[in-house]
Formats: sequence, C-alpha cells, structure tokens
Amino acid sequence: MLELRNVCKRFKGIPAVDNVGFSALPGEITGYLGPNGSGKSTTMKMIVGLIETTSGKILFNGEPIERDLIAYKQRIGYVPEEPHLYSHLSGLEYLTMVAQLRNLPANRALDCIDGLLQLLSLHGSRHAAISAYSKGMRQKILLSAALMHNPDLLLLDEPFSGLDVGSGLVLRSLIQVLASRGKTVLFSSHELETVERVCSHVVILNRGRVVADDSIERLRTLMAVPTLEGVFSQLAVEQDTLAISRDIADLIGA
Amino acid sequence: MNRVEDTKLQFRVLRRQFLFRLVDVEVLSAHALGDANKLVGQFVSLLIFISLLLTLGLLGFNDANVTPDVRLALSLSLAHVLIATTMLAVGMFAVLSWDSVFPDRRDVLLLAPMPVRARTIFLAKVAATGAALAVVVVVLNSATGLGWPMAFAAVMPSSHGILGVVRCFAAYWFTMVAAGAFIYCGLLALQGLVAQILPRRLFLRTAGLLQMAAFCLFVSVYFLEPSVSGPTTLISPEMQRLARRLPTYWFFGLFNELAGYTHPALVPLARRAWLGLAVTAFAAAVAYALSYMRTMRQILEEPDITSGPRSFKWLPRFGNQLQTAVGQFSVRSLTRSRQHRLILAFYLGIGLAFTIFLARLFVPVFLPTSAQPVQANELWSEPNIPVLAASIMMSVLAAMGVRVAFALPLELPANWIFRAVGVRAGTGILTATRRALLFLSVLPVWFISAAVCLKLWPWHKAAGHLIILGLLGIILSDVALYGFRKIPFTCSYLPGKSQAHMVFLAAIGLVALIARCAAFERQALQGVETTMVMLILIGAVAAGIKWRATILARSDERELQFEEVDSSAPLDLGLSRDGGVTGRRES
Repeated sequence: MLELRNVCKRFKGIPAVDNVGFSALPGEITGYLGPNGSGKSTTMKMIVGLIETTSGKILFNGEPIERDLIAYKQRIGYVPEEPHLYSHLSGLEYLTMVAQLRNLPANRALDCIDGLLQLLSLHGSRHAAISAYSKGMRQKILLSAALMHNPDLLLLDEPFSGLDVGSGLVLRSLIQVLASRGKTVLFSSHELETVERVCSHVVILNRGRVVADDSIERLRTLMAVPTLEGVFSQLAVEQDTLAISRDIADLIGA
Repeated sequence: MNRVEDTKLQFRVLRRQFLFRLVDVEVLSAHALGDANKLVGQFVSLLIFISLLLTLGLLGFNDANVTPDVRLALSLSLAHVLIATTMLAVGMFAVLSWDSVFPDRRDVLLLAPMPVRARTIFLAKVAATGAALAVVVVVLNSATGLGWPMAFAAVMPSSHGILGVVRCFAAYWFTMVAAGAFIYCGLLALQGLVAQILPRRLFLRTAGLLQMAAFCLFVSVYFLEPSVSGPTTLISPEMQRLARRLPTYWFFGLFNELAGYTHPALVPLARRAWLGLAVTAFAAAVAYALSYMRTMRQILEEPDITSGPRSFKWLPRFGNQLQTAVGQFSVRSLTRSRQHRLILAFYLGIGLAFTIFLARLFVPVFLPTSAQPVQANELWSEPNIPVLAASIMMSVLAAMGVRVAFALPLELPANWIFRAVGVRAGTGILTATRRALLFLSVLPVWFISAAVCLKLWPWHKAAGHLIILGLLGIILSDVALYGFRKIPFTCSYLPGKSQAHMVFLAAIGLVALIARCAAFERQALQGVETTMVMLILIGAVAAGIKWRATILARSDERELQFEEVDSSAPLDLGLSRDGGVTGRRES
C-alpha cells in the first residue's frame, strides 16, 4: 500500500504541495486529478523519489520510502508526464539499458523486452533511433521500461498522452489487469472519462491541496452530479470557462 | 505595413535568431543552467589574446640593429603566419558552425507554416553567417590588423608615405577577409556537394566524419607548412611547388600584390587566390542554393520513422549489469553525439597540433625534401622524444577531452531514468565510468602507439614504452575522475565553467613538461634495469592513486550528482510548471 501523510513541498517558501495525504491500495486503481499547476507531477516525483519532501511522510507497505530508497525504486514502475528519452539510443538499446540498470537477468530481460516490443507493435522499429519515434511510440517505450521488472507499484503520469485509440484501449485494459493481480496503481490524467472508467477511487488536488479523496460513486452522490467531470468542475475549476472562451474570441476579433 | 516592410522585418528577426544559433548552443547543453555568453566570451578573449601575442613581434621589429633585408624577410614571414592563422580560425569556426548553415528540422517545422518566403530564410542564414565570419576575422585581427600593416608599409619597397600605410591597411584587411571567405566557402561548397550526392540519411552520418577530417586537416596544414623565411625562399622550386598547392601562400601572394610588393614568384600565387576565391564562392553559392532547396524538401518529406539497421553488438561488457549499462551508455553517447565528438576533436586537434610541433622542433629537417634520410632513419629507429612525447601528449589530451565531454549533459531531461531506477553511487559506477574513459581515450591512443612503436623500435623498448603508456592511462583515468560522482552525460552543466580558453595555454605548459618526461623516459629505456625501476615507480604511483580513488568512492556511496548547482527547483524536472515556483500562490 502507498500512503502519503501530510506531505508538503515548498520551493523558496512557496508551497507546491500542501499537506497532501491519501492512500492507494493494492488491487485498486487510484486516480490522481487536478488542474495544471495543482502539484500532481510534483507529488508523483516525490513518490518516485526524484525530489525530497519538505515535510510529511511517504510510506510504501508501511515503510518510509527513504529508509531504503534504492530497494524501493526497484519495486516501482514510473511513466513520467513528458516522454523524455535518450533519443540517440534505439528503442531496444534504451530498454536493454534500463533492464541492466535494474539488474534484471540478461536472458529474461531480453525475452521480456522482445515480447513487450512485439505486443506494443514496436518490434519493427526496435533498431531505429528514438529520435525518429513518434510521441505515441515514445510513450510505449516508457511503458515498457516501467513494466519490464514487474513492479509492485505503478505510477502513471498522463500515460495515455500521444497513444492512438487502439493502444489507449490496450493500456486501459492492462492497467485493470495489473490491478486485478494485486498491483498498486496511481494514475494521473486529465482525461476524466478514462479515469471514470478505470479508477475506483480518486484524489482531486487543487492549489496543492487535496479537495476530494473518495470513490467516484460516492463523490457523484455527494455532489449530486452525474459525472466525474461535474465533480471535478465544482471542486477544481475556478474559472468561468464560457466567459473565458468568449473573451478569447473577442480578443482575436473572431 | 506593406509586403516589402514585412519581408525586411522577417529578415531582421530571422538573421538575429540564426546569428545567435550559429555556433551550436547545444554544445553547451541547451537545457543546462548558467551563462552561455561566458563561454563565447572566453573564445573571443582567446582570439584577442592570440592577436595580442602575434603583435608582440612589433616590439623588436623597429630595432636599429635589424637590417632592412632582415626586416623584409621578417615581415614576409609574419604576413604569411597571420594569413594562415586567420584561415585556421575561420576553418575552425566553419567546422563548429557546420550544422547551422542549413535549416534543421526544427527551423523547417516552425517556419514552414508561417508566411515567410524560403528566399527570406535563405538570405537571413547567409547574412548571419557573413556577420559571424566577419566577427571572427575582426576579433582575431583586432590587434595585428592595427599594428602590422604599419610595419609592413615601412618595409615594402613600393609602399611609402601615408598612402603606402593606407594601402597596406586596405591590403591587409581585404586579404584577411578574402582568405576567411575562401576557407568558409570551400567548406560550404564541400558540404553542399556531399549533400547533393548522398542521400540525406547518409549525408548526416558522413557529416561528422567530414567535420573531424576538416578539423585535423586545418590543424595539420597550419603546423606542417613551411614558413616564408625571405624573398629568396620564394623562388626555390620546392617552395614554388608547395606554394602552388597551399592556399595560405595564394593569399600571401595576394596580400603582397595588393600592398604593392610584386615579387615575380608571388604574381601567379595572387592569380590563384583570385581564381580560388571566385571558384569557391561560385561553387558555394550554387551548392548552397541547390542543397537548400533539397534539404528543405527532404526535411519535410522525411518519414517520421525510418527503420534503422540492425545494430552490430561491438561493445564489450564493462563489468556487471549496472556497469555495463553505464559503460555502454557512455560509449554510445560519445560516439553518437556530434557535439560531444566535436569537443573531443578539439582536444585531439590540440594534441595533433602539438605532436606536429614537437616533431618539427626535435627534427629540424622534418620536411622530407630537405631531410637527410640516413640520419632521419637512425633517429626514428630508437626511442625518440617526438614519438614518446606525442604518445603521452595524445593520451593526456584524449583523456582530458573525454572527461570534459563526460561532464556535458546529453538530453538532460532524460536523466530521470537513472534517478528513478535507483542507481547507487560508489565504486561500481566509478569503475564503469573509468572503463568507459579508458575505452574511449587511452585505448585507441595506446593501439596506435603500439603499431608505431613496434614498427619503429626494437620490441623490448617498444614494450617498455607501451607498459608505461598503459600505466599512465590508469593514472590519467583515476586522476581525471577523482571525486566524479556522476554518470557521464547526465549531470547539468554550467557553461563557462570549463575555462576552455585555458586549455590552449595549459597545453603549452604541458608540452614542456611532457617533453622533459619523454627525455627522462628515453634515457631510462636504454637499459633493462633503469626500465624496470621506472616501471615499478610508475606502477606504484598508479596503484596508490587507484587505491585512493577507490577509498574515496567507497566513502561516499549515497547519492549520484545530477545537478551541478544544488537548486531548490530543478529546471530539468520541470517543476516550474507546477505552480509552486511561479509565485502565483502565497503561503
């Protein structure tokens, strides 16, 4: 189980994440939502161990992650928000490097990489440099790198970004299958429809603070709205979207 | 605004953008923190320093004891050196800005949808290149271009009085600009020609090799070509044959013709300069225009994904899984990154230049035609200072070059993977990095040295030197990586921190030190006992340094360094987007 307790992150005194606390259980897909700049990616990076918390605790299976950060990192799979990859390497070379960094047995890693590349339709271009890959292909490489070591905790930051419809459907099912096999999945996305279909539980963040932490069903009932989009709009969207749209159209003289 | 004004504005905006991007800023890492202007400032100060250094000769020029004939000989020699130096500097600049003369994919994708004519982009590129070229020539000649023309006017037989001085000034500056333009256009024509002949994919691969070849050619020619020691040397058949082939002499002839010194041997050279300038300018214009259209089209038509060839597994294992990952990543990054290869080439170029310099210094008759074959053969058949010093020098500079390249990031935002998988600092990473450094720098130099030494010298003496070179490589790798808690190419970099302009000066000091070491080694290699003592001593030093480096690495196994400067909001992690550092919210 992943547990965040009163986690804060401040940059020069300005809070990016403020007193955030929630739990993500094994076998459950937790949606992590929020508008741009709400602190989602910062939280993800703290959970991955890329940056330190200013205060608060992050626990995995009851243990603070910093107790043995290296061992913890061996158990997580992370898909970052942006597909930054070493583009001078080929897809195969990149995945091989990640497997070596994770100290996976060479033969098993090779089989796993080969299988993932086949299943994600990347096998034909496995020797091409990543610089030539489309955004969707890069996303698939990120997914493969995050999954190949069979992690216990999956942290997915906008994993559907750039994927075509077919690949998106595969990923959606894959997340559900992995959760059904006991993995803990924390899933951040702006695609509320997907979140609504995939996640059982959501945490909504606004201005660095948790404004909702419950099952989607209960949130809809509590707020008396039929969709997650309605819940999100009430809790995290502070702008009059229609007025802004009209202002933009007026501004450009449309 | 009307269309003409629009085009002018677009031209000015694009010229400015292209000018700033002419020397590839990615060499400095576009994502790195720090001030890139500092590095540019260092190169400018280096050029000014060279210019001042070359002006120092003026101090002794007007000595009353110097006869007019000697003064004329000196001025001819210096005029040639100044022209050659300008051509070398422009050549280096041309190599560095190789990729900036054509629009890249980013340019095309950004500019193609905009209402900008291809002609405007084309002209803006040409104008930016011309401006940068002028800056290099002007800065390099900032001091020499003021002092030397006056000195030349004083000795040129037909350039007296104020008009003579003005003529010499004009001749000097015209020649420098023309010589620079010749080199630049020549390289541009070559690039355009290769771009026309080869498919784009192959052209991009060949470009790196051509850059390196051009770099080495410029440095070699500069240091190898004989100087003009006076009017008499100009009429020797050997010199005339050489002068016909080497462009520096053509422009030397042009300068003299323009300044009014019409030596019969110089007239055909001046003609060659005019002809060469016209041919290269025309060829560059045609090749550039054709390539421009083709490149623009190819970039747009290039498929998003091209199937790459099956890569040949030529890389060795570097230890355990983690070490192999880091080692192979380092080798692949250096061999595939044009920017990092150029940095290494810069160091190797300096090494090559000093190797040639040493060879010429220790073997006065280095040029084959004047050499005395018997003496030369005797000299080379035993361990000698030029070969000993050159191999050591190349090892040192190769190791330095690779170490500097290791410190420069490649795709900094992608380093999250090393952080996310949890790579621990310590001896494992240090060993992998050391092996990669040895593989990329010391080993190639060692193999080339082995081929040369075993060919020239008795085997036991060659073996002695090769063992020393190997031990030196171990020492170099440990010293270079002392306190290095990074994975190569993954840590952010502060431009200007490397003091690139000091490399040149440090190399001069290094030559003296290495020449002394080489002299000592040559003596030691004469006897078996002295060779053994030397090997034991160097071996002990190598073991001591290795032990110290390992102890240091073991004592600090906690964290690898990914930030040159510890920042509370690392830009490479993109935290500036998360609201916290935008200052929108107050606590």
